[in-house]
Amino acid sequence: MLLNYILRRILWAIPFFFAVSLIAFALISAPPGDYLTTFAATLAQSGDMVDQARLDALRERYGLDQPFLIKYWRWISGVIQGDFGISFEWQQPVSQLIGERMALSVTLALATLIFTWAVALPIGIYSAVRKYSVGDYVITAVGFIGLATPNFLVALVLMYIAVVHFGADVSGLFSPEYQDAPWSWAKLADLASHIWIPVIILGTSATASLVRIMRANLLDELHKPYVTTARAKGLSEFHLIMKYPVRLALNPFVSTIGWAFPQLISGAVITAFVLSLPTAGPMLLQALLAQDMYLAGAFILLLCCLSIVGMLVSDILLALIDPRIRYR
Amino acid sequence: MRAKLTIKSPGFARRVVLKALAGVALAPLVASVAFAQSATGEAPALADLVRAGQLPPVAERVGSEPEVITPLESVGSYGGEIRFGLRGSSDHNHILRMVGSQGLMRWNPTYTEVHPAVAKSVDVDPEGRIFTFHLREGMRWSDGEPFTADDIMFNVEDLLLNEDFAPTPPRYMSSGEPMTVEKVDDLTVRFTFQAPYGDFLSELASPLGQHPVLYAKHYCSQFHPDYNSDIEQTIRENNASDWQNLFLQKCGDIEIPSRWGNPERPTLDPWIVATPYSGGATRFVMERNPYFWQVDSEGNQLPYVDALNATISQDVESLILAAIGGRIDFGIRHLDTPADRPVLAQNREAGDYRFIAAAAPGGVDMIINLNLTHKDSELRDLFNERDFRIALSVGMDRQEIIETALLGEGEPWQHGPFEDHPYFHELLSTQYLEYDPETANDLLDGIGLDQRDADGMRLLPSGRPLTIRVDVIPTFRPQWPDMLQLIEQQWAQIGVRMEVNALERTLFFERTSNGNDHDAAVWAAIQSWVPGQVPQQIVPIHQDSRWGIPWVNWYNSGGSTGEEPPASVLERLRLYDLARGTPDPEERRQLIMQIADIAAGEFEVFGVSKSVPTYGIVKNGLKNVPEEVVNTFFATAPAQALPQSWYWQD
Repeated sequence: MLLNYILRRILWAIPFFFAVSLIAFALISAPPGDYLTTFAATLAQSGDMVDQARLDALRERYGLDQPFLIKYWRWISGVIQGDFGISFEWQQPVSQLIGERMALSVTLALATLIFTWAVALPIGIYSAVRKYSVGDYVITAVGFIGLATPNFLVALVLMYIAVVHFGADVSGLFSPEYQDAPWSWAKLADLASHIWIPVIILGTSATASLVRIMRANLLDELHKPYVTTARAKGLSEFHLIMKYPVRLALNPFVSTIGWAFPQLISGAVITAFVLSLPTAGPMLLQALLAQDMYLAGAFILLLCCLSIVGMLVSDILLALIDPRIRYR
Repeated sequence: MRAKLTIKSPGFARRVVLKALAGVALAPLVASVAFAQSATGEAPALADLVRAGQLPPVAERVGSEPEVITPLESVGSYGGEIRFGLRGSSDHNHILRMVGSQGLMRWNPTYTEVHPAVAKSVDVDPEGRIFTFHLREGMRWSDGEPFTADDIMFNVEDLLLNEDFAPTPPRYMSSGEPMTVEKVDDLTVRFTFQAPYGDFLSELASPLGQHPVLYAKHYCSQFHPDYNSDIEQTIRENNASDWQNLFLQKCGDIEIPSRWGNPERPTLDPWIVATPYSGGATRFVMERNPYFWQVDSEGNQLPYVDALNATISQDVESLILAAIGGRIDFGIRHLDTPADRPVLAQNREAGDYRFIAAAAPGGVDMIINLNLTHKDSELRDLFNERDFRIALSVGMDRQEIIETALLGEGEPWQHGPFEDHPYFHELLSTQYLEYDPETANDLLDGIGLDQRDADGMRLLPSGRPLTIRVDVIPTFRPQWPDMLQLIEQQWAQIGVRMEVNALERTLFFERTSNGNDHDAAVWAAIQSWVPGQVPQQIVPIHQDSRWGIPWVNWYNSGGSTGEEPPASVLERLRLYDLARGTPDPEERRQLIMQIADIAAGEFEVFGVSKSVPTYGIVKNGLKNVPEEVVNTFFATAPAQALPQSWYWQD
């Protein structure tokens, strides 16, 4: 039964993928102009001059003057064979460009996720159990500030304070001497010593919202009769809360996993941009700004695929946890 | 105000051009190497390699005829690096501007004359058709291979004139015919044009004219199908789509990022790529070229500084932070906005840097182009009324705009070079600057715009309301929308309704240069009309001539597309072709002045205020950096001030 369910979900994902790819391509083709007009505009902005003849030649070479469906067909037939095309800006294969950045993106996203959960869950539980205590109020106040402040603003302020008052540079993920070094334990240690700043910046608002969700979920459970019954039977308070209400309160978190997948790339684009992090987000933004069509297209397609896979995973997990979903 | 800079008037830019033209003068022109000087000094690190036998001696590396550079202040010492800040995307030309374009010719530091650079000397025939370049004996590419006439032949014949690679840029053509090139001997190359082409040497000095010496034949020919019989294999190995893509990926082109993406590519630059500028890079480093072909006046091989080191920031704001934090040694680009000036001035001591002036060569920061070829015939007729344009010009209170939107910096100006420039044209630059709403109203009433609507705004003769939408890219120069909003109010006073139409930049290009759908558009016109520049505001020849885009298309396509221009424009196009052809500088100036005469008479475009100098920051202790650079792409600013001759004082 469960297997059947999973199979059905996977099969549905295939037509969905094609529909999404068409929309993705339509989206990146939607803005007026093309890579070369953007290229000319960016250069002109810096006072540079563009060679008009070269520009026209490139437009023809890149096939930018072709109709939409032909461009889409060229692109998608390549994608199916694993060829995402060449980035206009960098003259390099798109897959190579994206691959280089994904590892750090995943590392950062996982570190942020772990940080968020590790901080948010205990605080959320405390805040629910000690409702309306001084601690709860403090946490609530801080939480609302965390929710209300955009991450990138925190990043900018932090960077400014670090530079002006401490003469330190908090941007990037590596010290200059390790930036281009091959991977080694020393480089890993260097990464560890840098990554906590973006993790905290990126984690603040997510932590704040998780604390609120956990608190609300748990408050719903705490006053249910089974809790009172368990308490009457003499179960220790800690054991009781962790074993029953917390487990139930965790349920809604599982469904958020579906969103967490695409967050690997698109999460915190602006923050990563401000902090000059070598992750995928800034490159996605740049590709979109530069109208580097194939690079942007590959990113968006990847985002869509991750969403599809993420939804699949969270559906399956939910089905595993909650039998009611399985049998519907 | 402490933030105020001491900026000299960009005067020297104008002292220039008589000399500038002398540089492009008649044959025979022998320059630069008055006496051959052999190289004697070199960087300690290279000396070690020579002792270890890993590198030939310095005299052998630079050849017997290196270019001798006389340093601005003093002969320097070796060592250190120059740090600058790159943006993560579309900033490859920033590297070009720091490294410089090593073309056959180059502009001198003050943008006043062109010198032979990679070429030792050049002879020009009296007619201006035949250019004979003499190369430097013993000059080498950065990998130690000799640089000879064969490299130029490869660049010209196999790439520049090879339609399969790319169409030949008009720069290398005269009267529609491409140039021909012949190798006279290993060190002599002759370029021949169908028609006289006096501007050619200045075109070669522009960064866009580096093509003849851009690629090293011994390396880049392996990516060319004529030289590599197994090109398909090479294409596959490099994941390229075709040989052109492969070639650009490996050898780059003048203005594309991959030029700085391949450390293996031999160059003639003072520094060579060590850490490439590629997608997702966070740092870009260039290291000394051991075979660089310039020496200082005491025979020390340049460059003095070991490396160029750029942090790549995604966000321009973090570049400002880096400057304040003292992590930038030289910077103009991205840092020179009026908004950032106070914060940079405030932190001069903390960041340990000083300011230099980045002067404009001439012209205005914002020019208004009415679309004289408007698709709507009624508007077209109106815009073609000279009195209408005069009314709009005298209907602007330029002084108020300067006081309010430009913080008092500027001076009313239509467009064109400044007063002490040989190309200065008084009438064109200074007519109709006086704010005079009464005259404006009279003129408008006189051309049939005397009907007004209930709000007092003028109606077109057909009864339609008159509205001019002015297209602008607000992110381009932040002051543009401010200026336009003031003009909107001022024109409302004379009954002309204007709307500021802020557009995203590609949409702007689509609507104006590509589509010709605009009523009017604004752009920068920072120009002095010297050879090599495109004087697009006095003659419609470029996509930035937004006052007559169909005429531009007509001219550039040789009459096959676009629209045939009126007689006054045709005459100017003819004079422009003549001016580009003549090898005599004074004659060229005369011809451009004739164009300016006609343009002044027609009064097609109008500006607001003289282009004001911006600024750059230079770390204290970095020597031989001029106090002022002419900030123009045509001279590859600031590289015309030769960063290879800058050094760190201990």
